Amino acid sequence: MNVNEKFSAIRKGMLEFLLLQIIAADKVYVADILKQLSATEFATQEGTLYPLLSRMRREGLLDYEWKESEAGPPRKYYELTAKGREQLRETQAYWNKINGTVKSLGQQ
Amino acid sequence: MNKVITIHLDGIAYQLEEAGYDLLRAYLETAASRLQSNPDREEILSDIERAIAEKFRALLNSRKNVVVTKEVSDVLAEMGPIEADTGTAPGHDAGSADRPGATAEEQKAAPGAAPRKLYRIQEGAMLAGVCNGIAAYVNIDPTLVRLAFVLLTMLWGAGLLVYVAMAIVVPEARSSEEKAAASGDPFTAQEFIRRAKEGYYEAVKNFPDGKTRREWKRRFKWRMRADTDRWRHNWQNYWAEQAAMHPGLGFALPMLSVLHGVMAILWVCALVSLLGTGTVFGLALPAGLPQWAAALLLFVAYGILISPLKAARRVCYWSLGRPKWTWSFVFLLEAIVWLGVVAALLWLASHNSAQLREAIQAIPTLVHQAADDVRSWWQQK
Repeated sequence: MNVNEKFSAIRKGMLEFLLLQIIAADKVYVADILKQLSATEFATQEGTLYPLLSRMRREGLLDYEWKESEAGPPRKYYELTAKGREQLRETQAYWNKINGTVKSLGQQ
Repeated sequence: MNKVITIHLDGIAYQLEEAGYDLLRAYLETAASRLQSNPDREEILSDIERAIAEKFRALLNSRKNVVVTKEVSDVLAEMGPIEADTGTAPGHDAGSADRPGATAEEQKAAPGAAPRKLYRIQEGAMLAGVCNGIAAYVNIDPTLVRLAFVLLTMLWGAGLLVYVAMAIVVPEARSSEEKAAASGDPFTAQEFIRRAKEGYYEAVKNFPDGKTRREWKRRFKWRMRADTDRWRHNWQNYWAEQAAMHPGLGFALPMLSVLHGVMAILWVCALVSLLGTGTVFGLALPAGLPQWAAALLLFVAYGILISPLKAARRVCYWSLGRPKWTWSFVFLLEAIVWLGVVAALLWLASHNSAQLREAIQAIPTLVHQAADDVRSWWQQK
């Protein structure tokens, strides 16, 4: 089992955090999110993203609005709610804490 | 030349090659079934349709207006399998730690790796393909299933009835996806056969002396049969004497048939209810009693309950020894009663086809469980 496989559960768990981060920066639609993730270790597919986004919306973390696109029918653009931004702050703080723990353990 | 099918996605018509259409439909059906318990199911499905439509649109231009099968398959691979997002409960995440690793393989295995389903299979079928479908479903030789049906018909006459009911209820595998789903994932089937074989050798090893055991089994069977015959004989004689004294008893035949028929219907309903829901008409099974044992008990209980009725009916036939015109009336009534029973069963089957399918689909799991239980029982000994 290589490192990539070992950490698949962690990557999956972190996807929600990354989505909060991406959506916080700008209003995006799904193809934008996929493009941003595609170059990273977190490359993912619509099949995973749509159910995840819909759950986050159900939990009140984000919302969407319909916007006309240059070509073809309107698209769903996602944005964070206040609750989503709050959750992003908490997750970032927690992530920093974990990062600190990983670096400091076994150092002394 | 390929047949083209027109579909509507997100309000726009697209033309797909037939095989591509089958792929797309299988993908969407799998998605719908995986999102079964998701409250946003409809919305996610329309999101997915919209995303697929957008990808199709990018492939087409003024000179190219048909999406070919290869393109459909590429688009679906790009979409990736629909993962039912059930929240981030820690227990769940730990349990599905190997899921994302598996998704890469799922993509290669083409979209729509649907769970195995029960279908009728026309290729190589003798009649309606029911036996063929069952054989593919539990992965055994169709000839064995056909033999089982013939035996059922000869012994209790139930095989034919079950066959007709299944020919009506079970859908036919038409598309290539349905055909693949009919035989399901070959790995699990092979695994089951391997385990079954292992269990068999395990059991054989435990016989202290094969010869004595066989001899004992043969005698036991012979004794059982002799007892049953004697018992039946006595019973019939008793009723025959009664009948000789009261010739009017012959008219009891249709009454007995009605009782027999009602019990048969009740029994079938109980069996379907047990297989489908794990309870008999809402009554939970006693703790510790596995479902397959309960199903066996139902068979035995039915046999015991019905045997006096059967014996009584046979005696009635006997007592009608001399043909009289009145008997033809009795037989007519009898025939009407049984037609009624068959009609009632077919009516029940067509009105509860969902439960019936569920019950039939529960059978292989039940057989697997029984095999596993028996095997572990053997190993404990």
